[in-house]
Amino acid sequence: MNQNGAPLLAGRGLRKSYGPVEVLHGVDFDIRTGEVHALLGENGAGKSTLVKILSGFVAPTAGEILLNGQPVTFHTMRDAEDQGVVLIHQEFNLADLRTVEENIFLGRELRKGPFLDKPAMRAEARRLLDQLNCKAPETAAVADLAVADKQMVEIAKAMSRHARVLFLDEPTAVLTKAETAVLFDLVRRLKAEGVGIVFISHKLDEVEEIADRITVLRDGTLVETIPAAGVSPDDMARMMVGRELTDFYPDIPAPADDAPALLDVESLSAPGVRNTSFTLHRGEVLGFAGLQGAGRTAVMEALIGLSPATGGTITLRGETVHFTDPRQSKAARVAYLTKDRKGKGLLLQNDLVWNFSLFALDRFGKPFLDKRAERAAFDAAAKKVDLRAASPAMTAGSLSGGNQQKLLLAKVLEADPEIVIIDEPTRGIDVGAKSQIYGFIAGLAAEGKGVIVLSSELPEIIGLSHRVVVMHQGRTTGCLTGTDITEEIIMRHASGLVPPKAA
Amino acid sequence: MSDTTIAPKRPLRGLDWKMLGPLAALVLLLVIGAFLNDNFLSTANLLNILTRAAFIGIIAIGATFVISSGGIDLSVGSMAAFTAGMMIILMNWMLGMTDVIWLIVLAGIAAGALIGTSAGFINGLFITRGGIEAFIVTLGTMGIYRSLVTWLADGGTLSLDSDVRSLYRPVYYGDILGLPVPVILFALTALAGWVILNNTAFGRHVQSVGANEDVARYSAINTDRIKLYAYMIQGACVALATIVYVPRLGSASASTGVLWELEAIAAVIIGGTLLKGGYGRIGGTVAGALILTLIGNILNLTDLISNYLNGAVQGVIIIAAVFLQRGLSRKSS
Amino acid sequence: MKHFVSALALSAAMATGAAAEDVTIGVSIPAATHGWAGGLNWHAEEAAKRLEAAHEGLDIVINAAGSATEQANALEDMVAVQQIDALVILPFESDPLTDPVRQVAESGAFITVVDRGLADPSIQNIYVAGDNVGFGRSAGEYMVDRLGGSGNVVAMRGIPTVIDDQRMQGFEEAIEGSGIELMAAEHANWSRDDAFEVMQDYLTRFPEIDAVWAADDDMAQGALEAIREAGREDEMFLVGGGGAAAVIRGVADGSETIPATVLYPPSMIATAMDLTVARFMSNGPVEGTFNLASPLITSDNAEAFYYADSPY
Repeated sequence: MNQNGAPLLAGRGLRKSYGPVEVLHGVDFDIRTGEVHALLGENGAGKSTLVKILSGFVAPTAGEILLNGQPVTFHTMRDAEDQGVVLIHQEFNLADLRTVEENIFLGRELRKGPFLDKPAMRAEARRLLDQLNCKAPETAAVADLAVADKQMVEIAKAMSRHARVLFLDEPTAVLTKAETAVLFDLVRRLKAEGVGIVFISHKLDEVEEIADRITVLRDGTLVETIPAAGVSPDDMARMMVGRELTDFYPDIPAPADDAPALLDVESLSAPGVRNTSFTLHRGEVLGFAGLQGAGRTAVMEALIGLSPATGGTITLRGETVHFTDPRQSKAARVAYLTKDRKGKGLLLQNDLVWNFSLFALDRFGKPFLDKRAERAAFDAAAKKVDLRAASPAMTAGSLSGGNQQKLLLAKVLEADPEIVIIDEPTRGIDVGAKSQIYGFIAGLAAEGKGVIVLSSELPEIIGLSHRVVVMHQGRTTGCLTGTDITEEIIMRHASGLVPPKAA
Repeated sequence: MSDTTIAPKRPLRGLDWKMLGPLAALVLLLVIGAFLNDNFLSTANLLNILTRAAFIGIIAIGATFVISSGGIDLSVGSMAAFTAGMMIILMNWMLGMTDVIWLIVLAGIAAGALIGTSAGFINGLFITRGGIEAFIVTLGTMGIYRSLVTWLADGGTLSLDSDVRSLYRPVYYGDILGLPVPVILFALTALAGWVILNNTAFGRHVQSVGANEDVARYSAINTDRIKLYAYMIQGACVALATIVYVPRLGSASASTGVLWELEAIAAVIIGGTLLKGGYGRIGGTVAGALILTLIGNILNLTDLISNYLNGAVQGVIIIAAVFLQRGLSRKSS
Repeated sequence: MKHFVSALALSAAMATGAAAEDVTIGVSIPAATHGWAGGLNWHAEEAAKRLEAAHEGLDIVINAAGSATEQANALEDMVAVQQIDALVILPFESDPLTDPVRQVAESGAFITVVDRGLADPSIQNIYVAGDNVGFGRSAGEYMVDRLGGSGNVVAMRGIPTVIDDQRMQGFEEAIEGSGIELMAAEHANWSRDDAFEVMQDYLTRFPEIDAVWAADDDMAQGALEAIREAGREDEMFLVGGGGAAAVIRGVADGSETIPATVLYPPSMIATAMDLTVARFMSNGPVEGTFNLASPLITSDNAEAFYYADSPY
């Protein structure tokens, strides 16, 4: 509360309609001075609409916004930012080719007479980044930064704008544990300075750690706003879905001890990968853990022929293979689902059927496409993965994250792979869809396929995997089984505290 | 919070406005033409228009592939001039070796097909293997082919021997069942282009590469090969257009095919294909080529507008046609 | 004025001094982007070969420019790099090139201007002038004569420039008051392809055409194809101009469709080069204006103007 006892920013009876469809049905929400207020809800629950209204991105159809108790209308985001209300997007709003410093001061450049005061801007940028423990040079182009650093630049930008209310939209989705810790330190510091922070995340354990209050939305209505103390992640999930979530991680029967090895990778080297070895069996879920940039994705891209392997041997079903083109690995029934759904996985402007059949297009007729068969296969696959879409003609870009991931899964499975490699299977998707994806992974293993799961979320790795390969700086540092699969042991291997050995 | 499921955007809701836009412009021009000149709708004039549209049209069908794959080819006009020049030189040269003129004509046609397709292959190779932007590569080859033909012709005009020409003549001037040969070839090319772009895996791949090359690569598509093929199709289309063009005037010079590249690109864009790639419309391209030809024809048939303003009229109509297409498609979504 | 005199004196000194020694002559012409310009380039090359063989120590540098700007740049290079003693120039446009040529003159070089005059005639030493108004007038007079003072005529113009305007003006003056009706005059841009299409549309538009005037032989040849295709050769005749070898051959052979053309020979560049070389290689003073007429060529005199090798 500030001097007059009113919250920093509040929405009263906010409604929003798109055409005839109302997506937000009269929601009250407030942010107080110096608190972290978590906003929870499944995809489609109305979180993003609410945040867009409160940050001036869209205007509400009905209801009012109060800033320090006074009614206010934000005409544009810039308008909101000028009054200290800043939204940090999940997809960053940075000019990739410009430098960090230029981005931080974009549109508010410091001047000395008619000229830019570059030294002052650089110094200020450095000061802000140092506060965030961010090592990124202020003169580097944003495109060259790691994702985590981009996040820090976004936050530095918000700080330079003297934000009083800060919306953080899934800020930790792309961060490692260590980076998340730095971010949380900063959040606590900002909180102490009186900034009101709205924290939106699917990672409920983080919500438990950082939030002071929790507001849960479901289907565009307010479920409740409660103090966070004593609320467990299970409680939060229950409030979000409105039912009990039992068995979040499915029980996946372990393959028999004598299960045949499907894939054996021996001393693989490739760009970003040194001397990596591991084995995958039929019916097995093999987890790949490691910090950002540890080389997990690089191993898989080299394996399927997206990047050139420079050394080592790959044995598939007993035969030595060397893929130089993803078409070869596809033919050998090895498939990889990228973690970058929007950039590398789906054509966002194309329709669902187009996306669905792209990987296995040769199945639908040569030389001419059999569009009826294609559509029938799509319908069957959509049903199988529970893809919820208004129409097969809608664009992939307009699907929710969970449905995009299901579409990507359906696309890859249509080629009938025997080895399915899934990179970050649940990044940015809600608990309901998460649990479904886990179910599909279990199903694939039960069919006798080999599944490799790459994930930065340790609970996910631990919950799904029969064995866990850990990578550190481009090489495997361990292969954990049974009771060794714990967060602590994985982290020790991931940080290079254990000498490397073959997996 | 990636749930941006607000109002699902449907590119197709019963009607494809991207297609209807150019059609509407086409009909409008036909009405204007008929209104301005009584002979406009005569069979002879309509066949003239179709025959003339065939050159740009055939080239533009190739350009539809290149542009939907995310590329661009600025060299087509020069490529056509060079191919025509080489064909004429070859045929005149063969005249000294054999009396069998039909053989000479066939050899000329075969050489044209080979030269055009190879020129496309070279463009594609530099773009994919060389990793150079299509704009730069084809700007370069545009200059190269243009000066080669000027050099071959000593700055003047290369003329085909009249005996060879009289046998070759029907390829432009002949007709089958009342339809001029170039029109038939244009229609066949359009049909083949439509089938390939919409009903084969290759066509789907072309557009996917244009939409997002990374996604295509991760979907096990050999993006380099797809792009190379697109440029080769462009080259083959240029070759076909040139094979039809040579008997028309029986000559090639430095001014042959000047600005054809821009007309072809304009036809493609008017037709609803996106310049940034990812989305191709053969039917629209045909409409676009007809629109461009109609404008010239109507301006020649009337005195209403000062000659000096022909370019302005053309510019206004091109912008209006694209506006119609985009404006309508925006409203429908 | 003093400066001007000294420049003249200098040029005279250099000229006499160079007569026994090496002489470099720069030739600046438009690039071969259409038929007539192609002929121009060919004649320039031929003349250079011939003159260099005839005079020891003579060096001729030819530059073909794509635009007025490029031509101005080329002039600067000729002065700075090749250090020319004389310049033969067919300017792209009169006004924009007047000052660049003045700069060359001030470097002491002898100036010969061809076809298009400069805005300031005092710069040039020799002017070999083409007659574009006469070009149109000769054709117009021929038509009036042949049609007997009445008939329907269409015209085909080039790219809109001063040359095009002058030719059109001459043609209109010649047919004025004769009873000949000029039904349309569209631009076919000196291009055979464009002329073919414009002619097709004329044939659609006008049921009766007695004669076609094209402001250039290239366009006349394109239009002829369209007339042949329509099977209307017997209805009309064409007159072009410029002096394309193929057209002159036809005229000499008594063609009915193109019975006459007007001489506007691209070989005028060779004439100008000859005059310029004579200035250096002979003792007599060569200066002044040489007007080239645009005479009519008919079957009577065509043989004399025929160059079989010319690309135009």
